[in-house]
Amino acid sequence: MADQGAADPGNNNNNKPEASEGTIIKVTVKTPKDKEEIAIAEDASVTQFKEEISRRFKAKQDQLVLIFAGKILKDGDSLSQHGIKDGLTVHLVIKTAHKAGDGGSTSASSSSSTQAGSTSTSSPGTNPSSTAGSTGTAVPPSQTPNILTGFGDLAGLAGLGMGSANFMELQQQMQRQLMSNPEMLSQIMENPLVQNMMSNPDLMRQMIMANPQMQQLMERNPEISHMLNNPELMRQTMELARNPAMMQEMMRNQDRALSNLESIPGGYNALRRMYTDIQEPMFSAAREQFGSNPFSALGGNSESGVQPSRTENREPLPNPWGPPSSSNPSESAGASTGSASTTAGTTPSVSNPLGINPGSLGNGMFNSPGMQSLLQQISENPQLMQNMLSAPYMRSMMQSLAQNPELASQNPASSPSSAGTNAAQQQLMQQMLQMFAGGGGGGTTQTPEVRFQSQLDQLSAMGFINREANLQALIATGGDINAAIERLLGSQPS
Amino acid sequence: IPVARVIVPRNFRLLEELEDGQKGGGDGIVSWGLADDEDMTLTHWNGMIFGPPKTVYEGRIYSLKIECGARYPEHPPLVRFVNKINLSCVHSSSGVVDIKSMGALSRWKNSYNIKTVLQELRLHMTLKENNKLSQPPEGQVYSN
Repeated sequence: MADQGAADPGNNNNNKPEASEGTIIKVTVKTPKDKEEIAIAEDASVTQFKEEISRRFKAKQDQLVLIFAGKILKDGDSLSQHGIKDGLTVHLVIKTAHKAGDGGSTSASSSSSTQAGSTSTSSPGTNPSSTAGSTGTAVPPSQTPNILTGFGDLAGLAGLGMGSANFMELQQQMQRQLMSNPEMLSQIMENPLVQNMMSNPDLMRQMIMANPQMQQLMERNPEISHMLNNPELMRQTMELARNPAMMQEMMRNQDRALSNLESIPGGYNALRRMYTDIQEPMFSAAREQFGSNPFSALGGNSESGVQPSRTENREPLPNPWGPPSSSNPSESAGASTGSASTTAGTTPSVSNPLGINPGSLGNGMFNSPGMQSLLQQISENPQLMQNMLSAPYMRSMMQSLAQNPELASQNPASSPSSAGTNAAQQQLMQQMLQMFAGGGGGGTTQTPEVRFQSQLDQLSAMGFINREANLQALIATGGDINAAIERLLGSQPS
Repeated sequence: IPVARVIVPRNFRLLEELEDGQKGGGDGIVSWGLADDEDMTLTHWNGMIFGPPKTVYEGRIYSLKIECGARYPEHPPLVRFVNKINLSCVHSSSGVVDIKSMGALSRWKNSYNIKTVLQELRLHMTLKENNKLSQPPEGQVYSN
């Protein structure tokens, strides 16, 4: 009973002089970011515990706030008084000047921010810094306004470590790498700093709007600023940009929906035009980041040569559209319905992190001469048109049009004007449509009927006697019988 | 396929929650524990919420008193703030939390527990309607 030799209250073998009993317990101390196991005497006071903690966490004792079981541990208390036993967890909050329990991320970004500050072009310096102030995760205070610039900065400095004195250059290099390597992009997107920034719609808007080219673009197309000012859209956009998987999903959906549009005579024209007019200037605006404008060839440059697009393979359309149709596409596309709010738009490619939906950007595009010349080119070389259409860009355009049935319906409505003028042109349209609808080979001019002959037969054998409707359905689904049947059945109740 | 639901007796539930609280189940953002270790009825609890970042509550630690009545967990607990706070659903004079007006908690399920309540309250602080409300000076408590 009295042999307490080893556990002598005198603590001969215990190097914690304050513990009269000498029983050491292990208490886990948890901060929002960290976890440490601290050995302390069972009957230690909170003060002593804090001494130990301040050593381990490298914080000042008076910055420490300890919580256990919903109670704040006061210095004068003892651990046992609160029931703190071996194996239990105590929460720690380290009070910093700004907020509790954090400090890690500020150093990395502040170093990059000072450097970033020197290269801002028309940097909305105050605005991002004010938002940065409120984010608390030390977003670099002065952002250069270029799209992806902020990311380029951080990632470039941290990851690439290039010794380029010119940060613009660095950013461009960065972005070029990004373009060629979507993995990197997604990595960067994963970076919490980046995500933080992206999750701040105001910041994003600032960045985008401060780009002078973007500003021009916005002047020309008020719809763009409309779009930018729509926080919902921005948020979706950023979500998309942040999540490549989601983006792909969106693209796939778009592609599918787009194919539905192909059967609308005149609709294709409209889409084309809309897309070119919006997307092209947009890309031009973003050109310096992307290093190439995949659409420049479309804008009417006949022999500008193929721009090595980083993300998409686009060929120039050197040959103008046939003469009869040059004036008409403008009319058919003239039916713009004002700002189509198709918020489901997404980026056609990883290269456009804005994820701006061209479709929503405005239907006033249709009257652009650029579109006309585009169509001219297309008509000459159906194969090219095929290629162009197969590019996801187009699809997202069409997607947006698909989502705005009003718009789409207005196109055919206006096409009577063109129908009245040239029936042959309509025929040509049909052919165009088939071509990409069915992936027709080598620019042949088969009518849909011929192409879908076997499918039509099957459909009529099944009892779908309305040949016209069958044909339409087949065109819309690109020859897919099952989908065509769905369509046919779906359209009956309406 | 209907799943047989076991109704866990109140005390078992509360003991579980006690253990979870002691083991730091709140991950450093909420904490809870028995107010009185001798309380055999496991009714009176302390809660603690760390003000979420990017809100006016940031950096503050809010103490709460939670009462798990006899019909807990079928019925939600009574919750009130100790530290003064300006937050919707909290009576400004007494600090009592009006759980029925609190979104997720208003449709109380018996699977909810003290941790849920604290976490929801914290989430509540981050809502647009709340995250910028001006707050009383730190350190003030409700006098009850």
